[in-house]
Amino acid sequence: MRLASFLLLLAALCNTVAVAQAPRAPPDAFTSAEKGNCIACHQLPGVPAARTRSDVGPALEGPRMRALGRAGIRDVIEDPTRANPQTVMPPFGRHQLLDRAQIDSLVEYLHALP
Amino acid sequence: MRFPSAPALFAALAASTCLAAPIGTREEIVTRLRAQLPGVPVAEYALGAAAFDTDLREQVAQNAAAADPVVAEGKVLWNARFKDGRSLAGCFPNGGRRVAATYPQYDGKLKRVITLEMAINQCLRSHGEATYEPTDAATMGKVVAYMRSLSDGRKVAVRVPAAAQERFEQGRRLYFSRMGQRNYACASCHLQNAGKRYGDLPLSPPVGQATHWPVIRDGRAVTLQVRMRQCLESMGAAPFPAGSEELNHIEYFLTYLSNDLPIKSNVWRNW
Repeated sequence: MRLASFLLLLAALCNTVAVAQAPRAPPDAFTSAEKGNCIACHQLPGVPAARTRSDVGPALEGPRMRALGRAGIRDVIEDPTRANPQTVMPPFGRHQLLDRAQIDSLVEYLHALP
Repeated sequence: MRFPSAPALFAALAASTCLAAPIGTREEIVTRLRAQLPGVPVAEYALGAAAFDTDLREQVAQNAAAADPVVAEGKVLWNARFKDGRSLAGCFPNGGRRVAATYPQYDGKLKRVITLEMAINQCLRSHGEATYEPTDAATMGKVVAYMRSLSDGRKVAVRVPAAAQERFEQGRRLYFSRMGQRNYACASCHLQNAGKRYGDLPLSPPVGQATHWPVIRDGRAVTLQVRMRQCLESMGAAPFPAGSEELNHIEYFLTYLSNDLPIKSNVWRNW
């Protein structure tokens, strides 16, 4: 009986940890066609709930995002043409497609990707 | 032979300031697309997004009959008698058969590029009839659907005489110009990223795009200029009016790129 209780507790703890680690769905600024619509070009391989076949832009994964750093991610979203004039990625900040709060939410989300 | 990267070609084609011969422009784009899309024959570019997705091909094939009612209604309008006893059929050689493949055309007297829609309205106007709104699917859409069907199988054969080359060039420049809030050019999606998926949908290449218009969407004929305007809106750009010089010249350029590919009009689309 005590073994059964222990096993039940262990299973509950494992489930809690698994739920805590599941990547959250992307914010509205990422998925809305009227806002960033990032999902139209970029896959999120670490987020099964947001599976797409988009491949215009590179897949967005945590290690690459953290290598860029929050400032780097922000720069790309604000105006990717500064680093690459030929990019087809819109200048979301410069052209006011996204406001500061929306860009902040994207930066935090992308930086925390698995 | 190493081909330039897509962005480099994009920049070169966009920045070209001299009046390159249209045929050279077309050949350059075809050559680039062949390298960018190995395994997809040029002839299949005419399938649009369906060239890259077998599910879409099946859906298009299964819905082939979607055009029938639209084309039938267009035929009625085409043959309807004006007040003076004439009809749209009488305004065009061969009753309109095998004619659509040569549009848009450069009219040397008017010194303008004339699209099929403009030619239809010229006919109506010259016979004292009310003209059609170019974007109205219920009239212009149906008539264009029927008239284009009379050229099914014919190869696109748009000519760009010397006098029209500046208009072709304007169309080319507009095709490569970044526009709107999203800073896209037509070429950003359809040349630089042809074959890649935007959302779930492959991006169709420019060669072949003009062969299959109008498309039938939700039972209505959508003309090429209507679709271009929808694209411009989604780019966050104020769309040029249908029948404007800008859209006419983009259509002129785009249709020329499809020269030698057969027309297959009125294909079904749900995207």
